[in-house]
Amino acid sequence: MGTLLQQIINGLSLGSVYALIAVGYSLVYSILLFSNFAHGSFLVIGGYSCYFALKTLGMNIWLAGGLSLIAAGVSAILTERLAYKPIRERTNVTLYLLIASMGMSIVIENIFVVTVGGRFRALPPVIPTDPVNLFGLATTSAFDLISLVVAVICLGGLQLFLTRTKWGLAIRAAAYNLRIAGLMGVNVSRLISLVFFVAGVLAAVGGIFLSVRYTLYPQLGGITIKAFVAAVIGGLGSLPGAVVGSLILGLAEMLTAGFISSQLRDLVVFSLLVITLLFRPTGLFGKSVGEKI
Amino acid sequence: MSAYTEGIITLLMINAIAAMGVCLLTGFTGVFTLGHAAYMALGGYATAILTVKYHLHWLPAVVAGGILAIVVAYVIGIPTLKLMGDYYAIASIGLGEAIRLILENWQSVTRGARGYPGIPTFTTMPVAVGFFLVLAFLLFCLLHGSYGRMFKACRDDHIAAALLGYDTARVRVLSLVLSAFYCGVSGGLLAGFLSFIQPVMFDMLKSTELTAVVVFGGLGSLSGCLLGTTIITLVTELFRPISQYRMLIYGAVLVIIMVLRPEGIMGQYEFGPKLFRKLFGRKAPAQERR
Repeated sequence: MGTLLQQIINGLSLGSVYALIAVGYSLVYSILLFSNFAHGSFLVIGGYSCYFALKTLGMNIWLAGGLSLIAAGVSAILTERLAYKPIRERTNVTLYLLIASMGMSIVIENIFVVTVGGRFRALPPVIPTDPVNLFGLATTSAFDLISLVVAVICLGGLQLFLTRTKWGLAIRAAAYNLRIAGLMGVNVSRLISLVFFVAGVLAAVGGIFLSVRYTLYPQLGGITIKAFVAAVIGGLGSLPGAVVGSLILGLAEMLTAGFISSQLRDLVVFSLLVITLLFRPTGLFGKSVGEKI
Repeated sequence: MSAYTEGIITLLMINAIAAMGVCLLTGFTGVFTLGHAAYMALGGYATAILTVKYHLHWLPAVVAGGILAIVVAYVIGIPTLKLMGDYYAIASIGLGEAIRLILENWQSVTRGARGYPGIPTFTTMPVAVGFFLVLAFLLFCLLHGSYGRMFKACRDDHIAAALLGYDTARVRVLSLVLSAFYCGVSGGLLAGFLSFIQPVMFDMLKSTELTAVVVFGGLGSLSGCLLGTTIITLVTELFRPISQYRMLIYGAVLVIIMVLRPEGIMGQYEFGPKLFRKLFGRKAPAQERR
């Protein structure tokens, strides 16, 4: 019983970190309708900026965290400006954007390989990982609780931003129809930059937690595959779907690791994807996107 | 011809067969994939197991590998290709990773992550060239017939294609199944060439490379895709000493091509009189004016 509760908390914590990544990815997808494969790079950029801010500049975790969020957000905007905007302005074939994003993800990953090297780095112990006893029922690590709480705060903040602010309204309008939002007087170019900034910031939060949970290395961005899978399970382009999908995925992964075999956890993730696609192709919350004429 | 040159040509042919498969799917049908190395893995392992364990002749083993790839592609393609959007792209990543993980963990059949040794080396240069020529000829005929027009119609405007009476979802599945066959065969030949295969050889990097080659050469051009394969295979060989920067350059080239010339080197043109007319056509009127 104790183990079960513990694994559920771990699963929720991992799932909430996936949710941070998946939501950013879904947000971009809902506006531009393409899978931004460079999304994982923002997470790596966040992780490395945090690492160097802590190690080389000797900042405290709040300052370093804030800096890395801004770094990831700005690099997301730059990625969009450099690679996607010229394509977006010329054509509406999303395949080209997809390939460019794949190229960007290779470029950013290998910039880190070339400049800082491919070795694994551990973040200084800035986030407490002591065991915490939960009312005598289960023992879990403080880190899991912290990441769960931070993720919930970030997602709540995003929800408030999207529903209560003028720019949030613009983003929701653009998700409905980008062109019409533009015709209604929204500055589409600035809106897309803003969406990328938000996605980058959320990815960086996820990146910091992931680099504490595992270690930091240039290929850490590969873990976004799971966030993509979560977004598809929840329904591409749907933000609540991304959150629910991520939590399901985190739970499935941790429960498999805890009770069956930790080697099978990735396999379970991909089987979940295939099963979802077979029985409910649009995901749990997805709009019907089958072709209808 | 030295053994090294022969080896490179064989490898080139094997890569070209896989690239033709991806070219059909991504270039001519407009479906993006990031998991075609998985079909190569299926073909490779099927061939390896059939030849080593069941002592089958290599030719039926390679074909069986292709057929296994077809079956898996069909199962994945039916639900995902009905939908518009990037569903297949994500599912293909998932499929690629899942197949790699199964190969790594199913010790009793695949011998796990350490690889499958002792495959008979049947892929000599004539075999590879022969397979390549036959498959290229078949693809050429397919693309220049009504099927090719059907694929291109679904890529360029799926609504118009549907109004013309094509079942666009089925067209995409057909394209996927054929492309999986090409990759399966290519994987089988690769197993016979190296006599040793390992799950890591078919990771996402390989899938990315397959797609990159097609994009590089030109989406919607068969000869462009072959040109792309040749360039990338040769460059990979030449740049082995600075392999650290290779991926960086490779990613940058992908982005730059998409920004400057998204249709790739060849665009939609094939080698032939039409290309030369396009390339040198402008000079003719200038001379007339003089």
